[in-house]
Amino acid sequence: MNSAPPRTTSRREFLAATALGSVATLSGSVFIAGCRKRARALGSISNAQQTAAVLPQYRPVRFLTPDIPGEGPLPDGYLKFPSTLVRAIAKKPGSSGRPIKTMTPAWGPTPPGLGRNSYLAAVNAELGVDVDPSVQDGMTFAQKLSAVLGARDVPELLSAPRWEIDKIPRFSQAVKALFEDLTEHLRAEHVEEYPMLATLPTTAWQYSVWGGRLAAVPYPTDGPFPWALFYRKDLTDRAGVEAPKTIDELYQFGKKMTRASQGVWAFGNIFQIVQMLFKCPGAHTGWRKKPSGGLEHKYEIPEYRQALEFAVRLHREGFVHPDIEASSGADAMTLFNAGKMLMTQDGVGAWRGTQSEQAKITPGFNIQPVPIFSAVGGDPLAWTEEGPIFYTFVKKGLGKERVRELLRVLDWCAAPFGTVENQLRQYGVEGKHFTRAPDNSPIPTELGRKELADQYGLLGGRVPALVGTADVPHFVEDLLAYSRATYKFREQNPFLGLKLEYPPNYSKILQTTEDKINDIVRGRRPLADLEQIVAEWRSTGGDEGRAFFEKALADNGR
Amino acid sequence: MNDPHVSSAATLKPGKRAIGARLRRDWPFLAMTAPAALLLLVFHYLPTLGNVIAFQDYNPFEGRNAFEAFMKSEWIGIENFQVLFADGAFWDAVINTLSITAFQLVFFFPLPILLAILLHGLVSARLRALIQGIVYLPHFFSWVLVVTFFVQMLGGAGLLAQEFHRHGLTPWNIMSNPHTFIMLVTAEAVWKDVGWASIIFLAALSTIDPTLYEAAAADGAGRWRRLWHVTLPGLRPVIVLLLILRIGDALNVGFEQYLLQRDAVGRQAAEVLDTFVYYDAIVPQQWGVGAAAGLFKAIVGLLLIVSANKAAHRLGEQGVYSKT
Amino acid sequence: MSALSDPHEERRRTTRPVWEEKPGMLLSLGKGATLTLVVLAVLFPMWSIVVTSLASRETINRVGGMVVVPREFDISAYVTMLSGGQVTRALGVSLFVTLVGTCLSLVLTVLTAYGLSRPSSLGHRPLLFFFLLTFLVYPGLVPSYLVVSGLGFKDSLWALIVPSAINVFNLVVVRSFFMSIPGELFDSARIDGASEWRVLTSIVLPLSKAVVAVVGLFYAVGYWNAYFNSVLFIDDNDKWPIQRVLQSYILAGQSPHVAGVAVNIPGITTYPPTLAIKMAVVVVTVLPALVIYPFVQRNFTKGVIVGAVKG
Repeated sequence: MNSAPPRTTSRREFLAATALGSVATLSGSVFIAGCRKRARALGSISNAQQTAAVLPQYRPVRFLTPDIPGEGPLPDGYLKFPSTLVRAIAKKPGSSGRPIKTMTPAWGPTPPGLGRNSYLAAVNAELGVDVDPSVQDGMTFAQKLSAVLGARDVPELLSAPRWEIDKIPRFSQAVKALFEDLTEHLRAEHVEEYPMLATLPTTAWQYSVWGGRLAAVPYPTDGPFPWALFYRKDLTDRAGVEAPKTIDELYQFGKKMTRASQGVWAFGNIFQIVQMLFKCPGAHTGWRKKPSGGLEHKYEIPEYRQALEFAVRLHREGFVHPDIEASSGADAMTLFNAGKMLMTQDGVGAWRGTQSEQAKITPGFNIQPVPIFSAVGGDPLAWTEEGPIFYTFVKKGLGKERVRELLRVLDWCAAPFGTVENQLRQYGVEGKHFTRAPDNSPIPTELGRKELADQYGLLGGRVPALVGTADVPHFVEDLLAYSRATYKFREQNPFLGLKLEYPPNYSKILQTTEDKINDIVRGRRPLADLEQIVAEWRSTGGDEGRAFFEKALADNGR
Repeated sequence: MNDPHVSSAATLKPGKRAIGARLRRDWPFLAMTAPAALLLLVFHYLPTLGNVIAFQDYNPFEGRNAFEAFMKSEWIGIENFQVLFADGAFWDAVINTLSITAFQLVFFFPLPILLAILLHGLVSARLRALIQGIVYLPHFFSWVLVVTFFVQMLGGAGLLAQEFHRHGLTPWNIMSNPHTFIMLVTAEAVWKDVGWASIIFLAALSTIDPTLYEAAAADGAGRWRRLWHVTLPGLRPVIVLLLILRIGDALNVGFEQYLLQRDAVGRQAAEVLDTFVYYDAIVPQQWGVGAAAGLFKAIVGLLLIVSANKAAHRLGEQGVYSKT
Repeated sequence: MSALSDPHEERRRTTRPVWEEKPGMLLSLGKGATLTLVVLAVLFPMWSIVVTSLASRETINRVGGMVVVPREFDISAYVTMLSGGQVTRALGVSLFVTLVGTCLSLVLTVLTAYGLSRPSSLGHRPLLFFFLLTFLVYPGLVPSYLVVSGLGFKDSLWALIVPSAINVFNLVVVRSFFMSIPGELFDSARIDGASEWRVLTSIVLPLSKAVVAVVGLFYAVGYWNAYFNSVLFIDDNDKWPIQRVLQSYILAGQSPHVAGVAVNIPGITTYPPTLAIKMAVVVVTVLPALVIYPFVQRNFTKGVIVGAVKG
């Protein structure tokens, strides 16, 4: 390293070669100056009538009588697992003997693949055909999906989350290029060949239509509320504090329960809930009809300003846990479980698992949702999300017989609660993958936890059912009571049933504007800046969005 | 045989007749380079052609297959670049990124060198290996973990804050302070990578001829003069090389580290080029704009490497390529 | 006076070289303090990671985060993590990829670096730029996928090795080192009629142990840590490398919060990962790095050039 100067390369040649390198990338491209016809993505709006024409006929089947019947998107409630099961499907779906390659997302430890997995073997035996699943982790699923779709290398059955699909521009084109048109297989009475698929609610099917053609089998949602506000009832009871019923009580809760010197803070990030409490609209990022006609966005209405002001107060007075503020990788649930944070906003699905797990660790642990209330008088407002959670697509060009075989498999996977098929699919083989608790509920064994990852469940969708287990007593009643009470105040969503693909300019400014709002919430910018931010939002895409959404309503006669 | 005529510009091109002879002499070198060159051609340059979408309104679902999607997507010239450059937030991100690079060149880059020198001065090789082996471990932590540690130590609910509370004082805001953010991210980067980065300097130090030290000592040079006249010159080529490469990489400062802390300090402070491209191109799936940003990085990187190399020549160093 | 340093003696030496004076008190204290600080800054978090991985859920809950004071020695996190056959299998996959990959990469890198170390050789400049240019432009997801899948590599372990076999940064480092070797050493060999291959193997390589060890470490770590290429190229769950499997443990039970909308992820009740499991994952990831370093350091011996020139 300290010898005669090494002879290296001349800069001239380097530059010359680099120019060549840039040219290599540019070769084949044509520079076009000036105006050109643009076929850019402008967003797309589904036609409700077109959609209705291709929907399957709804044929509900009841294998069991629910203890608490469902209502709309709310699931049926069963207080315990049945002791006898019905066999729903008489004939095995498989016919060709050719293995079926699938891709499903999962949020959990990787299961073993085909050939090393007794659960897969058991289910495949029932199906009469081998399903060969590839389980992808949910966090990187977006990139995997982009690559797979862009390279047009899709498996025979692909299950993808709705929120990822919604982000893909020109998806109707993707559907046409990559996936089988299922309309003629499932439309109206054609669905009677697949009786389990016919039990899926019509709303879910509505979302599975692109460009007037039915292209996916949906996984209906069982929790139409995006957010719930959870609190540690055991800790608040101990402190003699009740769940807040007004916005002032919420503030007082923050004041009373935050003791920074002891490492306890009242709130995590609850801004979405706060907006809901102030009755800001939530449909498609926050639109609602103006009484005088047209649409207005939550940014533009006084209630939003009030919600923002409230959130600012909470942060300024130090009621929000600093770890949540400091990193988006912070683990809110760990803090909540440890009692370092007393209220957190999360999906309703967090309730059961948390209660079940934590009750074993902290005696008396009690997580409950705060019933929603209104901060501005009148009835409260609950945001809803009625779209399905997943879509299952069938690869294009497999031939009619194969598609029918795949649909029969999906049909098997859609068998509802109370059937033999459902139990096998959800829990595996009794004695091997699960054992029975005294109340008859299945408890996964080590093997069960290892081998099962919803490989089949996500494919077929199912009619949602809520079942009680002994580890969380009264859960079904509690959740359904909360859901009903909340659903009563659901937002009147003018876009219900419509499939909308936002114009790119509008999608782009969503994050930008939220960043600016966040600056206000954290106190980096004054509340007075809101007006300016809204003006910027309007001019860089907000008004374009308004035109789009108004057109969506007009096109569909709403 | 070839025309023996030699061109007048003697340094520009070797005479044609020399080619055959040179080939006979040099074919082993070419043969040694060939496999790697082929590898890069196929696995790097071939897919890089896909960056052509920077000049297109890329629609992945156009055409009958994936290749046709690249061919048939509409050509829009430099429009993606215009969209990018017209956005004030883009330039904010670029400036942020460059400021962070500049700051870290001063407050991060020298530290692994100092650590290597410090460790090299340890007499016991075993102790050296032990310490080095420990100190380079944080390189293997994910950024989520690194930020979590900083939050646990320095955050509002962290150990330091608890100490403050114990003495009745209000804790400093370290993790959510946009004004000190650049120091925070540098501290995080130092903690994570100083050990890893020092490895290469340790290796370089070990190749310095010990007789030079002996000779210097014999001439009466104390340890500081030996450091200045033997050690640092011995490290100079590596330092310059790494410095040039780092400068050429100026628009890359990281991604995950900034994504995690973006909400904590706000876009103004935390947006770097890669997070900007993430939110403005990747998430809304505007692939053409993302590719345009990539080409922008390439061109700027090129200019920076050339300038840095030129500067290295002025200082008498060879750099990545020499002047002649 | 001039010590013909024996590499073995180097390693074992714990005494100062003859020409070096004893450091003053202040300097020693300063050095000691700095090093101690640096080591503690790393050791303390490492300690809390290990302790947390061995802590019970009650303790973690009580503390509300990382545990510093150990209360128990609970290995259930490790048991849970390692009991799935997937982890041992993934370790095998990663070991294969790392070993084969590192060897392949080292061979390719050394050959190429040597091939690019004679500026006067035919085509030297274009070739060098060919390699250097890769620093600047990168391929996108879909084209990379198309190339690998088009060549039939998809779902094969070779897809984790071959596309990333050459890292140009490492190449530049090795080349720079080769070019700094004194010309006299080559001249004598060439005059004796040695071929370039012989020069490489019998002269250059023995002098390059340090740089090859370092670059070998860089490659090995690169292969071991690689995560995203398996997302793209490997669908078969039985061929996942260790990083992916471990990541899936960390993700267990987390419901994605996307664009501000939380979604209820259905499925069997997978327990949300305790902090203990997450930390056990970190330990398993970091352990190989700790074990491997002494072997790398072994090659940082002083004065190997001296021996060659004088000898």
